[in-house]
Amino acid sequence: MINSSSETILEISDLHASVEDQSILKGVNLRINAGEIHAVMGRNGSGKSTLSKVLAGHPSYKVNKGKVVFLGKDLLSLEPEERSRIGVFLGFQYPVEIPGVSNLEFLRVATNSRRKQLGEEELDTFAFEDLVRSRIKLVQMDPAFLERSVNEGFSGGEKKRNEILQMALLEPVLSILDETDSGLDIDALRIVAAGVNELAKPENAILLITHYQRLLSEITPDFVHVMSSGKIVRTGGCELALELERLGYEWLEEELSSTKQS
Amino acid sequence: MTSQNVVEDLVSQPYKYGFVTDIEAEKITKGITEDVVRLISSKKNEPEFLLDFRLKAYKQWLKMKEPNWAELGYSKLDYQDIIYYSAPKSNQKKQSLDEVDPKLLETFDKLGIPLSEQKRLSNVAVDAVFDSVSIATTYKEQLAEQGVVFCSISEAVNEYPDLVQKYLGTVVPLNDNFFAALNSAVFSDGSFVYIPKGVECPMDLSSYFRINSGDVGQFERTLIIAEDHSSVSYLEGCTAPMFDTNTLHAAVVELVALDEASIKYSTVQNWYSGDENGVGGIYNFVTKRGQCRGHRSKISWSQVETGSSITWKYPSCVLQGKDSVGEFYSVALTNNMQKADTGTKMIHIGPGTRSTIVSKGISAGNSSNSYRGLVQMGPKAVAARNYSQCDSMLIGDKAAANTYPYIRSQNAISSIEHEASTCRISEDQLFYLQSRGIGFEEAVSMMVSGFCRDVFNQLPMEFAAEADKLLALKLEGSVG
Amino acid sequence: MSGLKKNLALLSRVELRMISPSVNWINSLPAPEGLLESFQLRGRQSLQLAGLPASSDEDWRFSDLERIKLLFKLPLASRASKFSGFSEQQLPPSSSSDTVRFVVRPGMDSQSLPKGFSYISSNELNRFLGNAIDHSAANDDWSVALNNACAGRVLALRVNGTDLPSLEMVLDNAAGELAATRIVLVLEPKTHLDLQHIVLGNSDSSHSHLLEIYLGKEASLNHGWLALGGGDATCVADLVIQQDLRSEYALTSVQAGWTLSRLHQHVVQLNGFAKTILRGLQCTKAHEEITTNSTVRFDGPEGCLEQLNKAVAIDSSHSIFMGNIDVPRVAQRTNASQLSRNLLLSNKARVDTKPQLTIVADDVKCSHGATVTQLQEEELFYMQSRGIGSIDATQLLLKGYCQDIIKYLQFNDDRSNIIDQLIGRL
Repeated sequence: MINSSSETILEISDLHASVEDQSILKGVNLRINAGEIHAVMGRNGSGKSTLSKVLAGHPSYKVNKGKVVFLGKDLLSLEPEERSRIGVFLGFQYPVEIPGVSNLEFLRVATNSRRKQLGEEELDTFAFEDLVRSRIKLVQMDPAFLERSVNEGFSGGEKKRNEILQMALLEPVLSILDETDSGLDIDALRIVAAGVNELAKPENAILLITHYQRLLSEITPDFVHVMSSGKIVRTGGCELALELERLGYEWLEEELSSTKQS
Repeated sequence: MTSQNVVEDLVSQPYKYGFVTDIEAEKITKGITEDVVRLISSKKNEPEFLLDFRLKAYKQWLKMKEPNWAELGYSKLDYQDIIYYSAPKSNQKKQSLDEVDPKLLETFDKLGIPLSEQKRLSNVAVDAVFDSVSIATTYKEQLAEQGVVFCSISEAVNEYPDLVQKYLGTVVPLNDNFFAALNSAVFSDGSFVYIPKGVECPMDLSSYFRINSGDVGQFERTLIIAEDHSSVSYLEGCTAPMFDTNTLHAAVVELVALDEASIKYSTVQNWYSGDENGVGGIYNFVTKRGQCRGHRSKISWSQVETGSSITWKYPSCVLQGKDSVGEFYSVALTNNMQKADTGTKMIHIGPGTRSTIVSKGISAGNSSNSYRGLVQMGPKAVAARNYSQCDSMLIGDKAAANTYPYIRSQNAISSIEHEASTCRISEDQLFYLQSRGIGFEEAVSMMVSGFCRDVFNQLPMEFAAEADKLLALKLEGSVG
Repeated sequence: MSGLKKNLALLSRVELRMISPSVNWINSLPAPEGLLESFQLRGRQSLQLAGLPASSDEDWRFSDLERIKLLFKLPLASRASKFSGFSEQQLPPSSSSDTVRFVVRPGMDSQSLPKGFSYISSNELNRFLGNAIDHSAANDDWSVALNNACAGRVLALRVNGTDLPSLEMVLDNAAGELAATRIVLVLEPKTHLDLQHIVLGNSDSSHSHLLEIYLGKEASLNHGWLALGGGDATCVADLVIQQDLRSEYALTSVQAGWTLSRLHQHVVQLNGFAKTILRGLQCTKAHEEITTNSTVRFDGPEGCLEQLNKAVAIDSSHSIFMGNIDVPRVAQRTNASQLSRNLLLSNKARVDTKPQLTIVADDVKCSHGATVTQLQEEELFYMQSRGIGSIDATQLLLKGYCQDIIKYLQFNDDRSNIIDQLIGRL
């Protein structure tokens, strides 16, 4: 194991970012240690999805200020594929459909690029198929989806399972799951959550980005952060999520503004 | 650098077949006259009927007008500035490969088409054409055991004159179009294939065309005849050196499929396409047509078009026989100043005929890539069916993709379906692949080859690999 | 597309005189005069030079060119003509008061206009007349030249507001004559209007119509075009539409019953962000020939086009669809879809369809599709197995097929007999 349980995996300091000249993140600070599950909650437009895109290196998002250190490396200077290879995984809110590109082939190339980085042997088609067939059980996905094009014609739930399958194959150090619960019925949600729980290990960490509490009743976070207007405005334990669910985001905002005034 | 720029860089790749073989050639003087036509015919020792054929075509050609294509603006050719016959001097068709000029063998070695006994491709018979003439054909004897004839058309004219006379010009009439008429008058060499009744050709047959001289036009002629219940898979490849003038390639290919016969014709075309400013390159004006004469016969065209300055070709199927089948699978990649206008014609005449068209166009740089197709259902084409799909992919905002699918139906009990779409490689798709650790180049190339997959699946194994390599080569580049 | 120019370039004058039966007819037209004088001169000159469209002209390559001569057989209708095609019985005015009706005839007088509508003064008209045509490819159109040559008056309306009565224009016909109308319609920004055009060709008559429609910013026009012919009637019409930012133009055209009918739609989205919806239905029987030819050009980004053209062809008729979509470099993020669906119900009938897409911008979604089929056997069988006779089943299916387009025509219930008539014809 590379990391002891107290090791810092990710450290975000004073992160500012914008998209199309519109400033979205306005000073985010966050530290994630090995073995921890974090949840970032917030309303639509609070900047939580932007945070995940910036961490994964989406070209449309511009970092204006701040630092992100991942396992001692300056994350922001790396290309998206380099970030993936060193163990950053983004589970997309809306996984993209790529017609013509075989899902199996895609998974194999992706897995091998990670294995190569880790100094492991690359898998040929046969060895990979064995691997994928063992991991696919975790998300209860029909193997027929391996033969199709990447995400093409998949239902919302199937797309999300495909995301968690990728997570299982890439064995990331940090998994960022962006609104993984959106568009899932309760059964699919349980399957996805079970997969995530299975993959949570003392040496890696998970960052859940979510709007609702319902995912958090399946995956229990160690820390809950609330984002508003591009900043983390409140941090607490999993009880904070329940409170938000009960009282709504207005409650928090009112409370915050009243603290500011006093 | 924006991802767009990187993609554009990726598709700009030097041409690696641009070398010239230094070999003494026998060329006739430039220009075309009746005497030149007679000279070509006499050099090849041709029988009377062929000279007549050539002269008739020449007279027709004189009366025809060079087509004026709106989409393909190109500097007009001076037909008196072209050499119509060029042959390596040492060449008198050799009995054995050992007698062939080693320089020629070396040339084909370099092109990845080794001809010598030890190195030749296993299970593919090759007819190698250098400028105007065929220099070698491999595996001839083995094929002859099954009665399959695979030789240059010049040989066929002398050895199988009856077959040639019976079929030549019956699929593409000598006055079919301007370039077909020109070809019929001056064609120099090409391949001839005859598959006898009931024979399944034991190996793939392949012709490899090489233009070496810059001022020589290449006018090859291919004739393939598949008798009842026979089948053959034929492959065609082409390259040319880099010259700063435009060289004309005006080929004619005729296919005849009789009862329950099947012909699969695959092309990987990588003629020199000119430099990034569009200087030089091959004008590829080709007439390819197949006739499904017999019932349940089948002709399938698949092509990967990546080269040439201008490509103008519509491999077509005339579906006469009852329940005959025509197919067209095409990938055309254009870059820089290249222009491609390609597609197919499916002429449904007989009842129960079926055709499938799958066309994928990728345009980058300042290029323009057009699909032009015709699906026609004649009055007797009862219960005929067509399905067409043509998709375009644009790389960069200066490339153009045009689609002109003509559909004409005169038969109520037939059905035609056409689908088309235009897309580009979206930033989100690239990001998705990258975020799974797949590098930029590989991501682009995966998507392009995914885009073309329906067509690549149709190519013979050896060719599919070559085509994928060729696209990857065009897409491979200097990403820092 | 460049019919006139191409013809001019290709043909020598000598040939022209020989192929142009129109010279006598042109000479029989009244002397050029009035507001449209310069258009009349230009149109007549073009016609004389170009003669009739040639089969080498891409726009006319599928057409039976002989039929165009029918247009020249008839004298131009005038104020004195007897307009008999339109009768109040056949087409009663809408019972609701929220419809303004114009019956467009050469001799028509100005009628009083409700709030929101006004006539455009002749001074101001210069800004609009011919402007949309110049900005589209319509300028080269043979049918535009024909209308220029013979239209004597122009009906020019400006519309402003949202809660407006709908506008109905009946383009009447005169037996044995050619009726030519020219209309300019200007929708001010944010205006919304429902507009119906009804073209009737009940007898041996001809029609030439030219409409220029300007949609201001955020304006929207819901446009119906119902062209019902009969006998030997012919009709050529050009709709030239210019759309400004965020405007929406929705056209529902229905053509049936003409020996020759040709509806050419030219849409230009000037500054992008606009939406165009083109729905068309053409039903042909006997020896009829009906063409829909549309050209949509996106001169700005984020434009949208939804197009569905349906055709039903029976007997020995001929149905033609040509759909051009032009997406130049400025038109990033254009989203265009085009579908041509054709039912070919007789072995002697013919369907030609030719989508034509020219795309240079790379960030676009463009799709097009075309099908030529007959009625689905399973559907017919399903109905028959429920006891419906094959003729009735066919009628029902056809009705459903046509209804898909017709339902967008804004007709009150008291007009629905027109639609039944249309389907009853088949």
